Amino acid sequence: MDIKEIKNSAETEIKSAQNIAGFKEIFQKYLGKKGEITQVLRSLKNLSEKERKIKAKAVNELKKDLLIKIEKGKKKFQGKEVDSSKDWIDITAPGKRLSPGHLHPITQVKEEIEDIFERLGFSVIEGPEVETEKYNFDALNIPKNHPARDAWDTFWLKTTEKEKDKLLLRTHTSPVQIRYMEKYNPPLRIVVPGRVFRYEATDASHEINFYQIEGLIVDKEINVAHFKAIMGKFLEMFFKEPVKIRLRPSYFPFTEPSFEIDMKCLVCKGKGCSVCSKRGWLEMMGAGMVHREIFKVVKLNPKNWQGFAFGLGLDRLTMMKYKINDVRLLYRGDLKFLEQF
Amino acid sequence: MLFSYEWLQSFFKKKLPAPEKLAEILTLHSFEVEEIKKNRNDLVFDLDITANRAADCFSHIGIARECAALVNLKLQIPDCKIKEGKEEIKNFIKAEVKDKKDCLRYTGRVIKGIKVKESPKHIKDRLKSCGLDPINNIVDAANYVMLEFGQPLHVFDLDKIGDSKIIVRRARNNEKIETLDDKAYKLDESILVIADSKKPLAIAGMKGGKGSAIDSKTKNIFLESANFDPLLIRKTSKKLALKTDASFRFEHGMDSNMTEIAVDRLANLINELAGGEIAKHRVDIFSGKTPFKKIKLDLRQAEKLLGIKISKNEVIKILKSLGFEIDSSLQVKVPSNRPDIKENYDLIEEIGRIYGYEKIKPVFPILELMPAHKNERIVWKKRAKNILTTSGFFEVYNYSFISKKAGDYLNSNLVELENPFSEQFYYLRPNLLINLLDNISHKENYSQRKEKIQIFELGTVFKEKASKIEEKKMLAGVIFGDTNDFYILKGVIDNLLNGLGISDIFYDNFEATPDDSQKALWNLNKSAEIKINGKEIGFLGELSSRVLSVLGVKISVVAFEIDFDKLIKFCSEEQEYLAISKFPSAVRDVAILLPSRVRVADVLNIINITGGDLIQDVDLFDIYEGGKLAEGRKSLAFHIVFQSQDKTLSGKEIDKLFQKIIKALEENADWEVRK
Repeated sequence: MDIKEIKNSAETEIKSAQNIAGFKEIFQKYLGKKGEITQVLRSLKNLSEKERKIKAKAVNELKKDLLIKIEKGKKKFQGKEVDSSKDWIDITAPGKRLSPGHLHPITQVKEEIEDIFERLGFSVIEGPEVETEKYNFDALNIPKNHPARDAWDTFWLKTTEKEKDKLLLRTHTSPVQIRYMEKYNPPLRIVVPGRVFRYEATDASHEINFYQIEGLIVDKEINVAHFKAIMGKFLEMFFKEPVKIRLRPSYFPFTEPSFEIDMKCLVCKGKGCSVCSKRGWLEMMGAGMVHREIFKVVKLNPKNWQGFAFGLGLDRLTMMKYKINDVRLLYRGDLKFLEQF
Repeated sequence: MLFSYEWLQSFFKKKLPAPEKLAEILTLHSFEVEEIKKNRNDLVFDLDITANRAADCFSHIGIARECAALVNLKLQIPDCKIKEGKEEIKNFIKAEVKDKKDCLRYTGRVIKGIKVKESPKHIKDRLKSCGLDPINNIVDAANYVMLEFGQPLHVFDLDKIGDSKIIVRRARNNEKIETLDDKAYKLDESILVIADSKKPLAIAGMKGGKGSAIDSKTKNIFLESANFDPLLIRKTSKKLALKTDASFRFEHGMDSNMTEIAVDRLANLINELAGGEIAKHRVDIFSGKTPFKKIKLDLRQAEKLLGIKISKNEVIKILKSLGFEIDSSLQVKVPSNRPDIKENYDLIEEIGRIYGYEKIKPVFPILELMPAHKNERIVWKKRAKNILTTSGFFEVYNYSFISKKAGDYLNSNLVELENPFSEQFYYLRPNLLINLLDNISHKENYSQRKEKIQIFELGTVFKEKASKIEEKKMLAGVIFGDTNDFYILKGVIDNLLNGLGISDIFYDNFEATPDDSQKALWNLNKSAEIKINGKEIGFLGELSSRVLSVLGVKISVVAFEIDFDKLIKFCSEEQEYLAISKFPSAVRDVAILLPSRVRVADVLNIINITGGDLIQDVDLFDIYEGGKLAEGRKSLAFHIVFQSQDKTLSGKEIDKLFQKIIKALEENADWEVRK
């Protein structure tokens, strides 16, 4: 067929095409495997070299030209095509949600803290909730009938047999330190999360059961400067911003020196606000260097080992993180509370 | 404990830092100032004095000494030099201590011819600042010196002491005393009293008796300054449920060297406020002075523990300012009011806190690379919780206690408390289900919620077995709000166990076990034992209507409870790939009419055993009962998928096998394959 004829009919068809499918047809008809232009190109091999050169140039130009026109024509219909079809959805209507469950907020905070300490090289260890008087108090250098024991209001268990060692609900996670050090030799780095119990009147900040996470590091030369660095790092990782901490002297029978660790209030930056009760500082944890009496109990020589221990309340951290104002909400099983986490 | 700023200032010639500043200094180096309160023209610090520092810091002088050390001022202690009269004390009173273990020291003085009246304003103001009500100049003076020096003191009307004899002895059983606040106490042999020849005059270290009290006519007085056994006072305080300023101090342990200083200071003050003449000498029954402790300070150890270098001169200055004697060889003499200082470590703490922990720069330690040990239990806990929440369950945390009512219903192997908190929190929980049910019956959850409720908990339960306490981690959940609850929950358990890498799961009929506590919980006709590799790990099913009614739940509830520690023994990360057959599969359907009580598992068993390896899957797609079917009959319909790993099965082969299965099914009487 004549090139000009092909050109004319192709251009007419392009003008009258009504949709993208029409252009696809035109492409097939002229430029497809068996298309008219394709056939002309194939037939060129039968011509003399001179003729071939001339014709080839013309056909190739036409091919290029048609490709451009087809693409241009297609573009006009793209977009419009969707509008005109009945096959559409309202993408602004609300999505259908699968109703997901929720992890308790303490679980979320606990897992996060466990994860941070694991990244810092601490192993996560657990221990029993029913403890003996020996592990909960005596081994921690809190002697019987000492006023220091008054700081831990205790639930005592009734048992039928006369036990040599009275049973109780652990008042802190510290007994696990003793159990762990009895079993494993230093150097060691552990954290112990878990439920603890206190027999005391409940209010917005006190519960009869709550969660602590306790940490212990024992090595040859661990000192207060190291302690400050590691605790600062932990708090920074948890709150995801730089923090400022300070150590205040305190007293725990199982550490010496003992400290309370305060963190500069992240809300008011130390100026004093409702979050920090106008103090500018938030009390984060109790801590200290492991007392030599504790090393003696677990048969380690205090001359050879040093370490620090710390304990913090998970409930308090959870409350800080989510701005919960009453600890009792955490143990009430109210779904409207739980579904927010 | 309350401390008056004005009073603290009175021990110094130079000015103390402003109250706010001083509070901050004390908080960072000594004790936390919890609050600063205003009282008239004075400011009052509420200090949290730690239990180890009672002997020196339950007193204004003790806190003033801390201030002196911290702000580098000279402390001025009130003059205790005494002007005695001519007449000797032995002419007025004789004292005897029955057991020196009960009373380490008993010191006293006599003043004759005093005049009881109101105290001057500055005494009253200071008492009020510290939370004490002024009474009269004699009683106020005793309280004043206690707040000043820490030593509890008591004043008796000398003329009311029978036969002029003081005996420190144990009370007789059923002996009675009426105290100053008009309360009567029945005493016994465990309680120490101060008595005259006939009757108790005071409960030692606790409170004075009415019979020997100071009144407006009192002329002659006996001042008591004693040191009682801390343990004895603590026990008495607990027994009588009585806590006084005196008992609180004594039970923490006081300095027995302080009795003479305090009694002289008191005699002087009374002399000043009420006149009279102080008799010559003291009564003093004492087994011997507490020796001074000597410690050789090891400065290297201080540096090693604190992580900083502090110069020898600085250390000497710090310890001297706190009242320690120290020489250039670092030999330290510990004052008797510091029983908390026993060895080098204790001195290190003193140096550290006065020097200031804020001066210690944080330094990361150089430690051996020791990867954290992976705790399997924590890993599986996390995974199990995630699977359940993905299935739409809410995680709850419940109390570790159950109510008396619920416990009395269960009535087996309960762990009781010596001091239960309340009727609501009475026993330790023997399972998690009781409290989960309680969550459901919660008004907020139950009546107002339209969607179905799915909650779970992973927690510890407690049982008493052969007088041992057994503590177990359990995973439990409840679901309600859907007619198909049992099967939904069964599906959830399948997902859970599969997700933990467990495949050999079997649900078996409930069987009675020695531990029949489960019987009280479950509706046995609608419950199953969950088994892995043939071992029971927990239960699944409807809860019994009796337990529901005890807990006030008015709907039927489906639940599961799994022994988590048993479960994790089967959990596994390992999985093996099963080759996917290259050959096509074919499906044949079969419907069977059979008695209602026949279990699906039994039918499946026959199909699987008969079909053997060529069965790729059997899928129950319909259960039908009622309607046109005769009573007691049901219809089960299955897709059976045939596939071979090594060849394309021909239609003939499949039909032959399918017929074999039908025949096997029909071998059971009353089973009818619908054709």
